[in-house]
Amino acid sequence: MPLSILVADDSSIARKMLIKALPAHWDITVAQAADGNQALAACRQGNVDVMFLDLTMPDLDGYGVLQAHRDEDLNGLVIVVSADIQEQAQVRVRELGAIAFIQKPVDAGKIERVLKEYGIQL
Amino acid sequence: MSTDLLTEDQREALQELVNIGMGQAGASIAQVLDEFVKLSIPRISSVAAANLSQEIVRLVGDADVSAIRQAFTTEFRGEAIVIYPEQSMAGLHEVMGYDADTKENKGEILLDIGNILVGACVGGIANLLGMLSAFSAPTLIADQTPAYRLLKPEHIQARVALLVEVYFVLEERDFRCHLIILMPETDILALGQALDRFVDGI
Repeated sequence: MPLSILVADDSSIARKMLIKALPAHWDITVAQAADGNQALAACRQGNVDVMFLDLTMPDLDGYGVLQAHRDEDLNGLVIVVSADIQEQAQVRVRELGAIAFIQKPVDAGKIERVLKEYGIQL
Repeated sequence: MSTDLLTEDQREALQELVNIGMGQAGASIAQVLDEFVKLSIPRISSVAAANLSQEIVRLVGDADVSAIRQAFTTEFRGEAIVIYPEQSMAGLHEVMGYDADTKENKGEILLDIGNILVGACVGGIANLLGMLSAFSAPTLIADQTPAYRLLKPEHIQARVALLVEVYFVLEERDFRCHLIILMPETDILALGQALDRFVDGI
């Protein structure tokens, strides 16, 4: 089964940059969400294995998505992808259950390393 | 008269680049001030020079402001202005490690913070576009000046200016500042072409 990936970012350019950084040889399906509510809706349907989540989004931001994701005990690993790289931001998202924090612009090697740590090899 | 010099794709690409540059600026400021900095979502618009003053009042309110200016050169040129609403300055000298709230200390703080923001944000954008960038020394252009008098149309060389607005808020205190980037038309078009190349390369 291919790994199902959700890329949640309000910027279509940012989504493109992230999808481009996913290694080409991976067996994955990629879905996109343009805001926090869309991201949560996709997670609630239960077919997201890994979500790449931006923090600064209008309406429901990444912190809000993480909070709801945890409150509702939704499935799927969440990797935060953010331009805001303050240490406090990193601590906050970890406390909210994100497994990793990747700095924008994303680096393909970093994504692969993070997933490998969680035993996901594609 | 249309003031849209960037296409929707170019504007969105610039917004993401500003977002990344600003993240670096925010992290630098957070480190200097040892506090969490809240970052806004950047807004990009083209503004007729004649309307710039009212745009600034819309951004920062009509209270008194101080401001610094820094020119930059990369494959396009422009200037960055960091605007500090006056009422948010109280106590900042302590955070920055100064004993007294003197005019000199305040000026230095504004120049220091402005320099970090502009370098990280504009330098970050240029870097992502694969360009080198250079900056003038920052200068204080306003000290307790009404916001509507900050920029006069006759000081803006271009008919249209690109307005890049971001702001930073310190959660623990009532501090905020706004960064705007002004570029003349020909440089906006050069930036647009660079953004096209960037998007094509993704």
